[in-house]
Formats: sequence, structure tokens, C-alpha cells
Amino acid sequence: MFYVRYLRNELLRRRTRTIVTLVGLGVGVALVVAISSLSNGLDRAQHKTLDPLAGIGTDLTVTLQPQQSQSTGGFGGGGFGGGGANRDLLQANRSVITDLSKLGKPGTHFVHDFFLPGTQLTFQQNTASRIAKLDGVSQVTTGLTLLAEHQSGIVPKIVATLKTQAKTYTVTKRVRPSAADFAQMQACLQKQGITINPGGGNGGGGGFGGGSRGGRGGFGRGNRAAFQKCLPKSLQQFRARFTAPSQTLKQVLNPPQTNIKTTAYTIGGVDQTHPTMGVVTTAQVTKGRFLGPAGGHEALVATSYAAKNTLKVGSKLDLNGTSFTVVGLVSPPLGGQSADVYLPLKQLQTLANEPNLANVILVHATSSSQVAQVKSEIQQLDPQADVASSKDVADQISGSLVSASNLSHDLGLALSVIAAVAAFLLAALLALSSVGKRVRELGTLKALGWTQRMVVRQVAGESLATGIIGGIFGIALGVVIALLVDAFGPTLEASSTTGTSNAFGLGVSTARTATKAVSLTAPVGITVLAIGFGLALLGGLIAGTAGALRAARLRPADALRQVE
Amino acid sequence: MALYEVSGLAKVFQRGPTVVRALDGVDLQIDAGEFVALEGPSGSGKTTLLQILGGLDRPSAGTVTFDGRDLVGMPDRQLAELRLRSFGYVFQQFNLIPTLTAVENVEAKLAPVGGTRERALEMLAEVGLAERADHLPSHMSGGEQQRVAIARALSVEPRVVIADEPTGNLDSATGGEIIALLANLAAEHGSTVIVATHDASLASRAPRRVRMRDGKLAALAAA
Repeated sequence: MFYVRYLRNELLRRRTRTIVTLVGLGVGVALVVAISSLSNGLDRAQHKTLDPLAGIGTDLTVTLQPQQSQSTGGFGGGGFGGGGANRDLLQANRSVITDLSKLGKPGTHFVHDFFLPGTQLTFQQNTASRIAKLDGVSQVTTGLTLLAEHQSGIVPKIVATLKTQAKTYTVTKRVRPSAADFAQMQACLQKQGITINPGGGNGGGGGFGGGSRGGRGGFGRGNRAAFQKCLPKSLQQFRARFTAPSQTLKQVLNPPQTNIKTTAYTIGGVDQTHPTMGVVTTAQVTKGRFLGPAGGHEALVATSYAAKNTLKVGSKLDLNGTSFTVVGLVSPPLGGQSADVYLPLKQLQTLANEPNLANVILVHATSSSQVAQVKSEIQQLDPQADVASSKDVADQISGSLVSASNLSHDLGLALSVIAAVAAFLLAALLALSSVGKRVRELGTLKALGWTQRMVVRQVAGESLATGIIGGIFGIALGVVIALLVDAFGPTLEASSTTGTSNAFGLGVSTARTATKAVSLTAPVGITVLAIGFGLALLGGLIAGTAGALRAARLRPADALRQVE
Repeated sequence: MALYEVSGLAKVFQRGPTVVRALDGVDLQIDAGEFVALEGPSGSGKTTLLQILGGLDRPSAGTVTFDGRDLVGMPDRQLAELRLRSFGYVFQQFNLIPTLTAVENVEAKLAPVGGTRERALEMLAEVGLAERADHLPSHMSGGEQQRVAIARALSVEPRVVIADEPTGNLDSATGGEIIALLANLAAEHGSTVIVATHDASLASRAPRRVRMRDGKLAALAAA
């Protein structure tokens, strides 16, 4: 077929022009492929980091955050103003950390885990059930995330001198002489010459009382002495015993200097009866299994925490005397309510001495379109509630990964577009210039009797062939670049910090930082390949055809007049 | 009826601010089978007249009929068809496609009418270039290239061969050979030939000479 041979000859015999065109197209396509793949890779890395979040199946996370602005006055007292919630939180945090006396006798070694609510307030017990009744809510579960302070050291000696005020006790007691006492008294009085009618003595105490009063009036002075003498021993000298009610005196003491070492970690309580929804879910278990439905002495440990503390499935965790078996390792999401250690909710509540305590409510909306509505409903229900959607949590993620991903989103997109436009323009320019140099040749073809259509078809065919070859070359080059990135790509880190670093001067860091490392890959998608390929093809084809059309529309005489 | 009937032909070019009257009222008749030499200095309008006669350009005014058909108002498609089947061109610059071999250049004319490679090789043999069939134009002398161009022009058995200064880039000996070849082959194939030249010695070999000056036909020289 002559036309095909002509096309082939045009490409082969104008070798320099063809090679320049192919390299230009190839590099352009390769750039599009490589940059898009890299951008894809960053997206994928980010997605991978945040994916467990999606795995929670929870659209909204509800927590109560204290109003931080009111606490700036300090811990001393006046600065709190009306921040009742703050005070509650502070007391919850403080009462635990100062109560060293519970640890044992001074001088003995102790290991203890303190559980602090951190910056999150606890919910009222009925909050979860109230949220469950809202429109658009399909499922609600509660969770508890606490800051744990693992302390070990010597119990300090705390000496407090307590001086109490003088106190007066008033005791009222009715004294009743016994029948024997009475008989003895009577005999004594008779001996003294005073007669008492025995019939009148029936009244017991009453009679005696009357006698006493009567004695004042009736006996006279000598009789009084006799009466005094005849009183039973127990009444001559009154004695009463009483016990003051039990009283505990509390006083804030300056924390004494000890060798106490503190390591902080976060601990989460999971409603193990909702394994697909909670601060950690079955989907996030990477090794071992999820907590059993019975909620026994079992624990899940975050992979990063496990690596730091050489824990594995089967390890024992001793928390204040209770031994928990690690049954699984989990890869929790960054941000939100991730923790290092997870226990069944009830177990953690017991450990923290707070039955029914919950500071996280996880809400699943019936559909994603309901999320915004549910969010505002919850905020209406409790204006203090901090309602975070999955996206909000994702937004908290910071670090090289996110910056790189954002970079790739902005810069990468820009670079992709620039590369694509460059590839397109290059293809167009090369095609146009090659046509421009051939106007006389195309004029000759027209003079030979070629129609406009035949000329355009021939040139477009050349552009198409060049585009295909250049596109394939570019895709190959781009894939090689992507593979190199896969092989030697850097590892990106993402970290998320929630809470404040030093809340209310407690001296305890309540911030929780989770870090996750993801290695960068550059997955090559078919779409990316198609786009890069298509652009090169389209650029060449459009420009080639346009150029050819322009040349072919010239009258042959005008085309022939063009100087080569 | 004559093959070509030309009357009142004018062609005006706008070259910047100046208007160039390339043709200024040309009347001409050419019969089928004639061999016509178009003489005249450069810029006298020879090329413009040939291009209008060959359907490569359209006049500003006047009428041209070819074989009874009006060339001036003819649609592009039909004009292209006419160029393909009825006209054969030979240019001063040879105008061979540089990426095509000798035989392929001939095929470029034959392919649209369904001509074969064998026919192209036959034509090359007629111009004495059988053994150069697979050479590129850049590897051939000017004379050889022009012979390829003649083979290409005649390959479709055109009614008319139009040659614009075919010897302009050749030495006089080669130019003489080319004119002789063109005349012989045209006679064999029964084609009408219109040759433009500024070389009077070559023009003198033509049975009919038409002289041009300033876009007009000058007095006819005696045969």
C-alpha cells in the first residue's frame, strides 16, 4: 500500500525530526505519568493512614471539651470563673495524681497506673441514649479514652501536722437506777430515819425523780446529806462514754521529692459487644484477634506501642494488680480517639474506679448525607459537645505525609497539568513545524491531483503514528520512573496530636501524639497512562491535522510558491 | 473545437502596497496534441498562465475552458480530479517528495488512480532510469530528478503535460535532452505539451512558440 509506505518513509527518512518528536512526546508523557503516579501514591499513603478511620464505620465522634479560654487565670482558684466543667475535670485529674498515700507504706517500692481523663469531660449517663434517639442516627456506642500515667518508685513519706480546733460535746442521758439500787437506797434511808412509802416507788425513775425534787422541799438539810450518802455508786459519780463520728481530714500537700518515674500512654475502653464500631474495631486488628464478647481480662495493643514495649500477642499487661492478656495487635487510625492500649470498657471503668464513665460517644449515621444534620442535632442537644466527623479528624493529621500529599495535590496537580500541557504543546508544536516545512511538498501532492482530504489524511496518519510511538515510549519511561520511586522511595511520617500539651498547669502532658509511617509508592494507574497517552496523541493529531488542513486548503499555486 | 479556449484572461496579485498584473488580457487557443513553447523573460506571466491552464490557480478575470469545461468556476474537487487524470506537471525545481524513492515518487501520482508499482517502474524505464528506481532524489542528479518528474507526469497518460522551466536548473546539454525526451514521450502518449522557457534556443525546437511580455501575449514568432 503506497500510502502506508509513504507514511513509514516520512518517519524513517526524516530520522532526526522523528526522534526529536518522539523524545519530546515521550518525556512529556513520562512526566505526566510519573507525576500523576507520585501524586496517586501520596494520596494512597494518606488514604492508608486514614483508612482505619473509615473502618470504624463511625461517622461522628462526640466528646466534651472544657472551655479552655476560662482557665487562663491559672489553677489558683479565682481564674476559673464559671468554668464548672473545668473544675470537675481538674479535680478528676488532680485527685488521682496527688493521692500517693494509697500506694503503700512510705519507703516501699510501688508500681501504679493512674488513669486521667485528660482534656475530655465525661458524659452524663443518659447522653448516649439521648443521641441514639435522634433522627438519622443508626447506631451509638460509648467509649472511654484515658491518659494513663504509669508510675513506679518509692512511696514518699508524707508528714502532715494537723491541728484541730477545741470542741465541746454535749451529752444528754437519762439515768435509771435498777430495782436493786432502789432497794439499797431505801434501806439506807430507813437507817438514817427517813421512811419512804414503798408503794410510791412503783414509778421507777419517775418515782425517783419525784423523790429527788421532793427531797429538796421535804427533807431539809440534814436529810439531803443522808440522801447524798444513800445514792448508789453509779449515780454518785456520773460517767458517760461516747465515740465521735469518723472523720477524715484532707489537706493538699506539696508533692514530696521522690524517685518516681512516669511514663504516659493512652488507654481506651472498647465496647467489645460492638466490634465493628468503637474506638477500635475488628477491621483494625493486624495480628491476633479482637476482644472476646465476654469482656474478660484481655487487651489490644497498638502496633507502635507494642514495638516500643516489646509486647506481642500473649504478653501480659499488669495494670494495678490485674493481669491482662494481650490478645491482638491493632493498627488504629491517626487522630481522633486512638490509644496505645485497649481494654473492654467495663474493665477500664473498674480500673479507673469510675463505673459507667464514658468520654467518647461514637455515632453512626444512617447515611453519609445525614452526617451534617446529625452533627447539628447533637450540638443542639449538648452545646458543649465537640462533634467531629471523620473528615474533621482527618484534617487534624499533620506531618510530612500530609504536607507532601497536600503538596502533591496542589503542586503535583499543577505540575501534572503543566507536564500535560507541555506534552500537548510540544506534540502540537512539533507536528505544526513539521507540516510548516512541508507546505511545498503538500502543494506538490495537490498539483499531482491529491484532494485536500487525501493530504490531510496522510499527515494526520503520520501524527497518529508518531503519537502512538511517542506515547508508548513515554509510558515506558514513566513506568520506569514510578518503579524507581517504588524501589527507592522515601518513607513518610504522619503524626496527629490531640489535646493540649500541658493542660491547666497540671504538670502532666495530656497531649496524645500518634505517629504512623507509610512508605511512598507511585502506583501507575491505567487512567494515568491513558491520559498521558491520549494527550500526546491528541496534541499531535490536532496540530498535525490543523497544519495539514491549512496547507492543503491553499491553492496549489500558492503552496508551491512557498520557499522551503 | 480547441482543447483550450482562453479569452480576456487577467490575474492580479496584491504584493504589499503594489498591485501586480501578472496576466493582463490574454487570449489563446491550444489544440489537442500541440507542442507549445511559452517564451518570455522572468516575470512576464508565463508561470501564472501555466498554473491557470493546469488548474492550480484561478484567474481574476476572463474565461478558460478545457475540453469544453469551464475551469474558472469549477469546484475544487473536480479541479483536483482534472489535475489527477488530465494534467501532468513538470517543475523547474523538480518537486520530488524527498523521502520517496524514484519509483515511489511516480507512485505518488499513480496511487490515487489505482496505478501499480509495475506501471511506475515501466515509466521509469521509459525515461531510462530503471536501475535508479530505488534511489532517493537526494542521491540523483538534476537531470535524473527531472526525468523522474517527467515519468511521474506522464504515468497517468494525461491529456496535457505542463512544464514550467523544466530546464531552468539544468545545464544546457541536459536541458536539451530533457526537452527532447519530453517531446518524444508526449508524442508517444499523445499528450499536448505546454512548456514555459526563457531559453530561445530550446523554444525554437517547438512547433509553436508563444511569446509573453508584461502579462500579455506578444506578436507570434514564425514557426
